[in-house]
Amino acid sequence: MNKTAPTANIHSFESLATLDGKGIRYGIFFVGCPYRCVYCHNPDTWSGEGQRFTVEELAKKVVRYKPYFGKDGGVTISGGEVLVQSAFVAEFEKRMKKEGVGVVLDTSGGVPLTDDVKRALKGAETVILDLKFWDDAGYRQYCKGSISTVLDTLEFCEKNKVPVWIRTVIIPGINDREECIDRYAEVVQGHKCVERYQLLAFHTMGFSKYEKLGIKNPLEGTPALDRSRLEELQAYLDSKKVTVND
Amino acid sequence: MNSEWQGFKKGNWCKKIDVRDFIVRNYTPYTGDSSFLSGPTGRTAELKAKVDDLLVKEAEKGVLDVDTENVASILTFAPGYIDKGKDIIVGLQTDAPLKRAINPFAGKRMSEKACEAYGYKMSDLIKTEFRYRTTHNDGVFRVYTDEMRAARHVGVITGLPDAYARGRIIGDYRRIALYGMDYLIECKKADKKELGKNDMTAENIQLIEDVQKQLEFMEQLKQMAAQYGFDISKPAANAREAVQWLYFGYLGAVKEQNGAANSIGRISTFLDIYIERDIKNGVLTEQGAQELIDDLVLKLRLVRHLRTPEYNDLFAGDPTWVTTSEGGMCEDGRPMVTKNCFRMLQTLYNLGSSAEPNITVLWSQGLPQGFKEFCAKVSIDTDSIQYENDDVMRPGFGDDYAIACCVSAMKEGKQMQFFGARCNLAKVLLMALNGGKDEIYGLQVAPEGKVFDEGVLDYEEVLKAYKKYMKWMAKLYVNTLNIIHYMHDKYAYERLMMSLHDTHVERLMAFGICGLSVLADSLSAIKYAKVKAIKDERGLITDFVTEGEFPKYGNDDDRVDKIAQWIVESFYKELVKTPTYRGAKHTLSILTITSNVVYGKKTGSTPDGRKRGEPFAPGANPMHGRDCEGALASLNSVAKLDYGCCQDGISNTFSITPDTLGEDEQDRVEKLVTMLDGYFAQDAHHLNVNVLHRQKLIDAMNNPALYPNLTIRVSGYAVNFNKLNKNQQMEVINRTFHEKF
Repeated sequence: MNKTAPTANIHSFESLATLDGKGIRYGIFFVGCPYRCVYCHNPDTWSGEGQRFTVEELAKKVVRYKPYFGKDGGVTISGGEVLVQSAFVAEFEKRMKKEGVGVVLDTSGGVPLTDDVKRALKGAETVILDLKFWDDAGYRQYCKGSISTVLDTLEFCEKNKVPVWIRTVIIPGINDREECIDRYAEVVQGHKCVERYQLLAFHTMGFSKYEKLGIKNPLEGTPALDRSRLEELQAYLDSKKVTVND
Repeated sequence: MNSEWQGFKKGNWCKKIDVRDFIVRNYTPYTGDSSFLSGPTGRTAELKAKVDDLLVKEAEKGVLDVDTENVASILTFAPGYIDKGKDIIVGLQTDAPLKRAINPFAGKRMSEKACEAYGYKMSDLIKTEFRYRTTHNDGVFRVYTDEMRAARHVGVITGLPDAYARGRIIGDYRRIALYGMDYLIECKKADKKELGKNDMTAENIQLIEDVQKQLEFMEQLKQMAAQYGFDISKPAANAREAVQWLYFGYLGAVKEQNGAANSIGRISTFLDIYIERDIKNGVLTEQGAQELIDDLVLKLRLVRHLRTPEYNDLFAGDPTWVTTSEGGMCEDGRPMVTKNCFRMLQTLYNLGSSAEPNITVLWSQGLPQGFKEFCAKVSIDTDSIQYENDDVMRPGFGDDYAIACCVSAMKEGKQMQFFGARCNLAKVLLMALNGGKDEIYGLQVAPEGKVFDEGVLDYEEVLKAYKKYMKWMAKLYVNTLNIIHYMHDKYAYERLMMSLHDTHVERLMAFGICGLSVLADSLSAIKYAKVKAIKDERGLITDFVTEGEFPKYGNDDDRVDKIAQWIVESFYKELVKTPTYRGAKHTLSILTITSNVVYGKKTGSTPDGRKRGEPFAPGANPMHGRDCEGALASLNSVAKLDYGCCQDGISNTFSITPDTLGEDEQDRVEKLVTMLDGYFAQDAHHLNVNVLHRQKLIDAMNNPALYPNLTIRVSGYAVNFNKLNKNQQMEVINRTFHEKF
């Protein structure tokens, strides 16, 4: 045992998160990310020092929201990249289990599968996994990273029967064609752990954060994805029946 | 047994006036979903179109018409109709829909000003007649002390019902349907006889006179119904008569009284008993039942009073608070949800969304899921309903209470309220720093005290001074209300409404707080950050420089939430120290309606960073933009306020965008239900729910014609967005919207 309890570097909280997992969820955003995606809408979570919390301190916050969780809700941890702090995450999940609160882990899959990362993945009730691009070239060009850890994460969940929701952000001019969807589908096809595959529309509401942080916004001038186009692509993807529920 | 009662289970209600007993023995709980409901009939649609036309004309002119010759009362006007041949439920306040009457009993100056504001002139005859008559307003100002006048002038207590009727009294209109007027009159006569046996103390004499006034108006109500061709001396024999009898009672009340809020009570489940009986007897269909309720609601949407523009600043959007109370639990454990509660909600589809009647759902963890989901769906679709926690109200008010106005519970027919508006506790802080002087006018309002120096404020010293002035405020406030209600009883007594109460009625005196979040955050700033006071050329502290971070109410942070709790609890403790007129029980609300804009205008800069004149947050809401941990953290902070010392209600308004609430309609419905359950499980009291985009409101502000029926919930009631003035619209738009990026 450490003399002082380990802490996590936390960016912020969202007490009513309704779209990242089932039911009403309490969102905790961790600081730190190995990727530098050009379309990131949370550049303020890439690095730096947020607020420090121990597992107990976080648990104390979460239990205040138990009345809202109903039968489906719980905590969703996200970032940044939450698995950068995987040892803490695994401990936090254990603590939540004691409270009877399920944890959804929202990850970019950009972290190598260390023992702590594996523990953290196994401890989640669902893993939301970003599939940003279908190949390494895409990851290198747009995320300054590699696809290999993402695929490893997916395989690990498959092997350990951790339910997975895949998510892909569709960006106008980058991956908004049907052929792109074909490629994404090929990557996901055949995995029994995948319960859902959701496409998300690129939006410009994170742009102001770039200005605030004084970082150049690589996609300045890119418009938000039209909602109807998103629905078209989602329908196209759904027709390919890549998830276990299809 | 009366023939009209055939088919009802007998009980105590047959021997004396006991509406609750009748309901509990006879109602049929409904635990299913909304699939049984009917849409509008052709007749309903036709009448609605007619009303919509009139509403457009009214919106253009501000008021459609004013009768400047006759003074409002039960028998002043000839019968009025929307369409004589087509109305199922009849009766209007005057002889034509939306024509407003003059009601100078509470204050004649107010009536004159209201006429002038819309280009009308009160008739000379009325002016002459009222020259010889003391109004409520005259009486109050005869007695007000200099200190009361000063406190009123600077706006530390405002919105007082001293120039208009107090309202917030609910006649038990159901009694008319169940018993008929003759039996009710007989009971009142017996009460009067009993009172005659007592020693003639001032209290007893007053009560006997009250009962005699009631009796006179009960007779008049019978005459009013007769003008429409109905004899209400006997009980209602079927559902249509039950609705009609009950509505006549309400109509008589709003003909006579122009109080801010005249609510109609807990009527749906009561009426359901008659509807169920008729359906069972094969004389009514579901469509017919819905048509009855639709027609009643259409009439309720036409209730109007003649108001001044100043009044509209306080209570924007021409509200009448025809509040209804739906659902709740019976003390025997059964839900009191009936099909008729669904029908009442269904009117928002059949007649379109609307601010009135102010449909209030008495939420309980025990309500059937089908009802909870229908309520959530209606909220999401119409933004027209509000929720109040039956599980916290039932222990104190039983299972036959109703909501008056926004959040005020009272036992129907057994309790009445002396409405007390609210006092500005944020302003009291500035007065405490300035030794009792008001910071805007520089007037010495409160007794002279220590004037704080410029420089960093010490929390303990500020708190000590604050307590002293809070004490002063509470005493002055109670005494001011005592005068107001003494005079209201004397000169503008609610004869008809009170006739539909027990003679020995319990009285509540409802005090109110505004500026709670501003005060809590200001004290938090002084405690946790460094607040430097700055004086102006008059030597008054009028500005502050705040350095460092401080916890803000609305983030589920105990450091500041405990300050908010302390404010409410200690102010209540101070209030109860001063006795009330007629032995009323002190109650307290945290509710502003839309007056948070006006109160803000009358309050200088505060240590929380709010600048002079900027609006307060409404009701018990956290200040806009300061709740930064999301919607539920904000709800949790409000839920900590103790209903035990705020039994007149704790109002909270919640706005969320549809995309933030859930992915699709079903998901949104489920999540809203879970959220309401979670909020109320923590003993929170009230929630207004708006599910809409901020952008929609901005569009509506710029293009009002495109959004004729845009209804939104504000503090404890709903308003048509177009009826707000620009300041109020901006304030609503700036309120925290919970949205996800």
